[in-house]
Order: sequence, then C-alpha cells, then structure tokens
Amino acid sequence: MSRRTLAVVSAGLSQPSSTRLLADQLAAATRDELVRRGESVKLRPVELREHAHDVVNHLLTGFPSAALREVLDTVTGADGLIAVTPIFNASYNGLFKSFFDLVDSAALVDRPVLIGATGGTARHSLALEHALRPMFAYLHAVVTPTAVFAAPEDWSGGVADGALRARITRAGAELADQVHRRSPSTGPADPFALTTTFEEMLGRQDS
Amino acid sequence: MQFGVFTVGDVTVDPTTGREPTEHERIKAMATIALKAEEVGLDVFATGEHHNPPFVPSSPTTMLGWIAARTERLLLSTSTTLITTNDPVKIAEDYAMLQHLADGRVDLMMGRGNTGPVYPWFGQDIRNGIPLAIENYDLLRRLWREEVVNWQGRFRTPLQSFTSTPRPLDGVPPFVWHGSIRSPEIAEQAAYYGDGFFANHIFWLKEHTQRMVGLYRQRFEHYGHGSADQAVVGLGGQVFMRKNSQDAVREFRPYFDNAPVYGHGPSLEEFTAQTPLTVGSPQQVIDRTLGFRDYVGDYQRQLFLVDHAGLPLKTVLEQLDILGEEVVPVLRKEFDSLRPAHVPEAPTHASLRAAASGDLVDAEAGR
Repeated sequence: MSRRTLAVVSAGLSQPSSTRLLADQLAAATRDELVRRGESVKLRPVELREHAHDVVNHLLTGFPSAALREVLDTVTGADGLIAVTPIFNASYNGLFKSFFDLVDSAALVDRPVLIGATGGTARHSLALEHALRPMFAYLHAVVTPTAVFAAPEDWSGGVADGALRARITRAGAELADQVHRRSPSTGPADPFALTTTFEEMLGRQDS
Repeated sequence: MQFGVFTVGDVTVDPTTGREPTEHERIKAMATIALKAEEVGLDVFATGEHHNPPFVPSSPTTMLGWIAARTERLLLSTSTTLITTNDPVKIAEDYAMLQHLADGRVDLMMGRGNTGPVYPWFGQDIRNGIPLAIENYDLLRRLWREEVVNWQGRFRTPLQSFTSTPRPLDGVPPFVWHGSIRSPEIAEQAAYYGDGFFANHIFWLKEHTQRMVGLYRQRFEHYGHGSADQAVVGLGGQVFMRKNSQDAVREFRPYFDNAPVYGHGPSLEEFTAQTPLTVGSPQQVIDRTLGFRDYVGDYQRQLFLVDHAGLPLKTVLEQLDILGEEVVPVLRKEFDSLRPAHVPEAPTHASLRAAASGDLVDAEAGR
C-alpha cells in the first residue's frame, strides 16, 4: 500500500461555493476508488480565493509569497490533481487561469488530472472541453476522459441518485486508475537541481 | 567587507510631483551619486547596463571612466554587464582599458538580461541566454589570460591569432562576479571558475537566496577553490531611511506603490516582510542587514539600491549621507568582528596582483 496525495483546487468565489462542493465530491469519489484498490489517500484542498491577492502579486512581482509557494508545491507535488472552476464568459474564471499561469510549464507533465466546472446554465458545459482540457493538454498533463460539469438543475435534481452522481463516480474512478498505475510522486521538482555538468554546458568533453 | 550602491539607471516619474527627469538629468544624477558614494565612505559604485527605454546606462565604461577620473578610492563595478548580447571581445577591451585608467579599481558582475526584444537587436535570441552566458564568458576569460587566442564557438565569429588590447593591468584580469536571481546554472558557473556570486536578493524570498548561495558555496568547494565558507558572496539590498521610521514609511510609500517593478502589487508591508527591503530608521537597516549573514553566511559585498522608482536626487543623496554616517560604519565593524579569520575579503586588484606574484615566486622556487 502506498500513500497518495490528491490536490483539490477550487476557483469558486462565493462561500459556500457549489464549485467547492463539486470539487469535494470528485475528491471523495477518487479517494474511495483508490482506497478500494488498497491505497491510502491524503486530500489537500486548495481554495484559490484565499490566495487571490498572492496570485496577483506573484504575477506582478515574479515571485510567490511563502504561503503561495506552499500551495504551488502542493499542486505540483501531488499524485493527482482535481481542478474545478466556475465558468465565466464561456471559460474558466480569471482566478483559475491566473493560478495555473504560475505553474511551471513542465511541472504537470504526465500528471493525472480530473477537470470539473460549475455554471449558471448547462449551456456552459462544453467550456470544459474547449478551455480547460486544452490548457492541461498544453501542460502535458493526462486529463481523464470524463470531465464533470454541474448545472443548477444537477444540484436540485437530488445529487445522490441523479446523473451527476454517476458522472462523479465514473470520473473519480478514471482519475484513481491513472494515479494507481503510476509510481508515487516524489514531490515538486527542485528548482535548484542541475541536470548537466558544467563541462557539458561548455560543450567540452571531459578533458 | 565592501559596501556600496548599485543603480538600475531607470528614468521614472516622481509619483509625488508627476515630474519625469530628462535623460541628461538622470545621467548626471547617477554620476553625482557615484561621487557622493566615495565622499561618504562607501567602497563600491555599480551601474546597470540597458539598451532600451526607460533606462539610460547603455554605455557603462564611458560613465565609469568619467567617475574614475573624479574619484580616488571608489571601486567601479557593474550590475550587470550583459554577457549574452555584448561581444566578449569588446567587453575584454573596454574593461581592460577602464582598469588601466582607474588604476585597477574595477570589477564586473556578469548578467544575462531578461528583456526578450533586446537580444535580437544584437543578433541573439533570449532562448540561448544560458548557453550565451557560458560560451561568451569562457572566451572573455581566455582573452584576458592568454596573449594570443585562437577560438571557435557557437555564437561568435571565430578568432585567429587575436590579441585583446590593452592587456589587463599588471597582467591581472578584473575580478568577476556572476549575478543571477533564479538560475542555478549561473551559481554553478561562478563556482566552476572560483569567481564571485552575487545574489540579487531583492526580488525573491530570503529562502530562495539562501538556497542559491548555498548551492554556489557547495559547488565552489566541490571545484577545489576553498571551503564553502570561503566562497565570495555579494548581496543586493534595498533601503529607505529616516531618523523616525514612521517618517520613512510615509515618505517612501508613494514611490513603492508606483514603482515599475513591484508597484500596484503587494503592499509595502508585505514586500518588506518577504524581501530584504527595509524602510525605517538607520538602526532597523543595521539590524536587518546583519541578519542577512544568518542565512547566507559571512559574505564579502553588500550593495544597496537607493536611487530608483523616481526618487529625487536630493533624497538619494540624503540616503547616502545616512548610509555613510550612521549605517555602514556600524555594519563594517559588526561584520568584521563576526567574520572568522579564514574567510577572505572580496578580491581586489591589489590582492589579485599579490596572489599572482606569490604564485610566480612559488613557481620559481619550485624550479
């Protein structure tokens, strides 16, 4: 049995937030499936709202505060990532994009990711496919085939028995499967690690 | 330990008056700041190099040569010299000439430059930043150390039987620092040659600077230049002082809030907590600066940024007076008393010349 970490990022702005509610349900479904497969799971929720000022400050100054550094390390060092945003103007909200703009472009390579979104109408649902999925594809993450969108009617229709519940369970199982088949994460990349010798950088053979 | 100021050379509107200095005013102000640095007893003046507005110092050796002629003791340096987009041959020539005119009061800090569009103006590409820094600097070293250079590389036209003139003063090349905010390759480069490493320090958390300096020290020892605590480290710092710390905060806040680099971002309070920026009384600056030693070890050079973000010249000169009268004498005494005997001072022309002639004596004795 290995110990797995799931980072659960929610870009919801209101409190309580339906985006956070969806994120928590996706996290629980993934955890349950991993536990069923004999893994132990630690969930690491990240409410981007709490870091909104730090995110903007990092964009402007070029470096993260200590608190934001920890959050970025949590996200880039996890075994799996659940990323959920409200849909604004047909795409992820600005906070969600600004946060992921601060993630190094190599930090999520081959990382299993489950994407989710909430919106005021089901007509926003394809934003998952035309906005979130391409962004994570650019980052070379492995996005599960099922992405989960929750519209107001999904919540009012009785979550436990509705179609939303089925999609959450399926998506969680897909993410768990991707996490399960990989070796445990070794944590965030070390920004101070050198990958070549200085002689190689100089273009010389050992002399 | 050496203390000094480093300037970016930005032309910035004074947010309290709305007035922007002319380029001429800014250039003359930089020169005045350098002369003042010597007058108040600082050791180093370092100028940035930029080739795009709103910055004026595109021609550092012209400025440093002018300052050299009007000073006696001040060490003239750069922050930084663009090792990526300058021809290393021209750097070798310009700084050797400056070294002669300044009687050896010259060293340099190598940097890459982070403005993408500047590179193609000089026929380069920012994506080659690190390889350029490495190849160009290796050539620069050879030009200063070998009488006749035959060379071929990736970025510059080959050299056949080339002699860079003038030769370095007394055959001793200027000491070189390598400056970097975030690239471990540059700490490695500095360690490889046993050169100095200058951590910008002012645009990142102290934990980050600690890691970078730690990496440089460890690799310096690895390459056999001495123990890790003998590596040559410089740090940036940023201060604004008034007798009463509340006055300092009140006066500096509009400059901070509108500063080109971090303005409209974190609050002054957040930024002072996260970075070495210290806005307060001279005693607060003394305490904070002494604290740098706790996370980088004993170090050799402390440069302060005091003349940016539109601060008027009069204010900057007052800052230099406070540094010279109240801050640096205390720091000098405190740092010197804390530093163990085996940790060296930063190399100077005199110490490098003495070391070189010592090597020669050793070599002759061995023969």
